[in-house]
Amino acid sequence: MAYPFQLGFQDATSPIMEELLHFHDHTLMIVFLISSLVLYIISLMLTTKLTHTSTMDAQEVETIWTILPAIILILIALPSLRILYMMDEINSPSLTVKTMGHQWYWSYEYTDYEDLSFDSYMIPTQELKPGELRLLEVDNRVVLPMEVTVRMLISSEDVLHSWAVPSLGLKTDAIPGRLNQTTLMGTRPGLYYGQCSEICGSNHSFMPIVLELVPLPYFEKWSVSML
Amino acid sequence: MLRQIFSQAKKHPSLIPLFIFIGAGGTGAALYVLPLALFNPDVNCDRKNNPERWNKLGPNDQYKFYSVNVNYSKLKKEGPDF
Repeated sequence: MAYPFQLGFQDATSPIMEELLHFHDHTLMIVFLISSLVLYIISLMLTTKLTHTSTMDAQEVETIWTILPAIILILIALPSLRILYMMDEINSPSLTVKTMGHQWYWSYEYTDYEDLSFDSYMIPTQELKPGELRLLEVDNRVVLPMEVTVRMLISSEDVLHSWAVPSLGLKTDAIPGRLNQTTLMGTRPGLYYGQCSEICGSNHSFMPIVLELVPLPYFEKWSVSML
Repeated sequence: MLRQIFSQAKKHPSLIPLFIFIGAGGTGAALYVLPLALFNPDVNCDRKNNPERWNKLGPNDQYKFYSVNVNYSKLKKEGPDF
């Protein structure tokens, strides 16, 4: 989950998020290098007594600073497009979970085998137990088996919402009258938090999402207990 | 237009990489968009003979520009014919 004074992304829990983290490191390094080079050159220019007031012809350096940025942009674009296409791949999910956004809670339906559905409200701050996270805990978590490709079908019953879990690299809008699909694959067990990411009214900040990824036998036991 | 490009390139040779990259970018964009307009199953070119192309997708065809992990020619067809 997010922690105070956090600077970077949360740790990745899905293969796509790992790819996004590496791509971000790669692109941010390029950005830092270019910015520090430019800042250094500006500082050099501001601290010199040399002047040159006639028009200059500089064919060689112009060639360099045309080719080099083009190459840098290609080096950024190719990994970016690769991840973009990777996010869209067909990967045969084994489980389908539907989530509907409401004002101001999420409801989940696991209807592959039986009719299992429940609502997921945020736990108010006064009712938190010691150690629980403020504005992030919910009463009924979304329990899912780990290392299994899950298809999430996301829609809304009233206004726009957005179902987001940053550590899995997921954010999909919940639009009334539209069914959006995303696939989820958690690589390790644990609790993964997210918050509604599209303004939806007064309690928009108070409808979080909590995924509880567990081994498959625990998931099966949980779904039987919830029926 | 091409004559102007050549005359400017002779006067300022540093412009040559610029023309190469802009030319490559434009050609690349055209080469991507043209097959997309003609062969993408979401596009309805011929309303009389081939009205709903998006209903005739085969399991072994790759419709996307680039495939990272999935080898579409090796996939099997899942549903029945209709």
